[in-house]
Amino acid sequence: MERTEIHELSAAYALDALDADEREAFEAHLARCAECRETVASFQQVAANLAYDVDAPEPPPTLRSRILDEAAAERPNVVSLPRRRWAFSVAATAAVAAGIAAVALAFWAADLSQRLDEVQAEQHRANEALVALIDPSASHVELEGADGVLVVDDESGEGTLVISGLERAPSEMTYEAWVIQGEQPMPAGLFSGGGNQTVVPLTEPVPEGAIVAVTVEPAGGVNRPTGQPIITSQQAA
Amino acid sequence: MGRGLAHLSDEALVALVARADEDAFAELYDRFGRVAYGLALRIVRDPALAEDAVQEGFLAVWRSAARFVAERAKASTWILTLIHRRAVDLVRREQPRRAEPLDSAPHESGHDTEEEAWLRLRRTRVQEALERLPDKQREALELAYYGGFTQSELADRLGEPLGTIKSRMFAGLASLRELLAEDDLEEERWREPRSTS
Repeated sequence: MERTEIHELSAAYALDALDADEREAFEAHLARCAECRETVASFQQVAANLAYDVDAPEPPPTLRSRILDEAAAERPNVVSLPRRRWAFSVAATAAVAAGIAAVALAFWAADLSQRLDEVQAEQHRANEALVALIDPSASHVELEGADGVLVVDDESGEGTLVISGLERAPSEMTYEAWVIQGEQPMPAGLFSGGGNQTVVPLTEPVPEGAIVAVTVEPAGGVNRPTGQPIITSQQAA
Repeated sequence: MGRGLAHLSDEALVALVARADEDAFAELYDRFGRVAYGLALRIVRDPALAEDAVQEGFLAVWRSAARFVAERAKASTWILTLIHRRAVDLVRREQPRRAEPLDSAPHESGHDTEEEAWLRLRRTRVQEALERLPDKQREALELAYYGGFTQSELADRLGEPLGTIKSRMFAGLASLRELLAEDDLEEERWREPRSTS
């Protein structure tokens, strides 16, 4: 298909006017064509406006409860799992019964359990950051030195850096964030960059008037910045 | 109650839904359930089928919230796109030979809530924009979006070459984008105090 022709299908796709085969083919094209993805996103937003040109009678109340019940019954996909202590107890019991080999198993299980907790904590932090980013009550400060913002929750002082298009840190190096108030920079987290969007929940609160800076440091991080900041932000007064 | 979800943006709610937050999901339904049902009803023209479309659409929201990317789309667009897709798929499956007129009967409302006033305003804006489109573009958009017709069905129905239909839909959406850009009400909606019903 000619290039302009397939580009034109963005409209039919956004209107759901493709049949199943055409839709599949176009989605394969979309995966490769950033320009069409952008057009589709913009057309879908226009098309969604059309949803409002309808009579909108109240749906039956039973529909609401049916949907909410069904969702609750599915208990999905993700996070908010309880900590998995059973891995310890099962392994510990086995250790008593079976001796040395099982002790090794217990360590392995404990380690696995801890890593699972870490993964969940990571996921949790990322979600918190997303919520912070789009929370209208948080302050947003533009960054200098990179395309991004510092988001600070006004109440808790919890800060998050959201940086677009940050190159991956060189090998053996890491990015390190700092919260600087007065003369004393406080280490506020290590991260490696790469990917489209880098989200860094800061491990130190950001007081009013403090500066957040990012330096490049040896892997593992340091307690005091050794290099010049490559990214800085000034909290609005 | 007591969670203070009403002040959150739609996008923040979706982020909470991605963490399986049932209250946030209920709040999203309360914001979009009515429009979703109205849209589905206009497309499938059958209350039971419309309920199915809304249910499937919202469950798709529940299941795939973790994949929603706030930088790429507004949550409202994402949700209504999921509902629309379900409604169109249903109507194609259930009524392969449909040809009835697409206008729905006027809706009579006994009371006029804040939500209804807002929906009416929103509807007026969209209708005004649609009326400013060339007739043939408007016709193509409406038959596709509300009628659930594929582009090939549209070409048959209107007796035009497929290429013409594609161009009309593209030009129609592009013009509508310009016409609607001036007054995007969406942004303000969630910032305003909402009456909880």
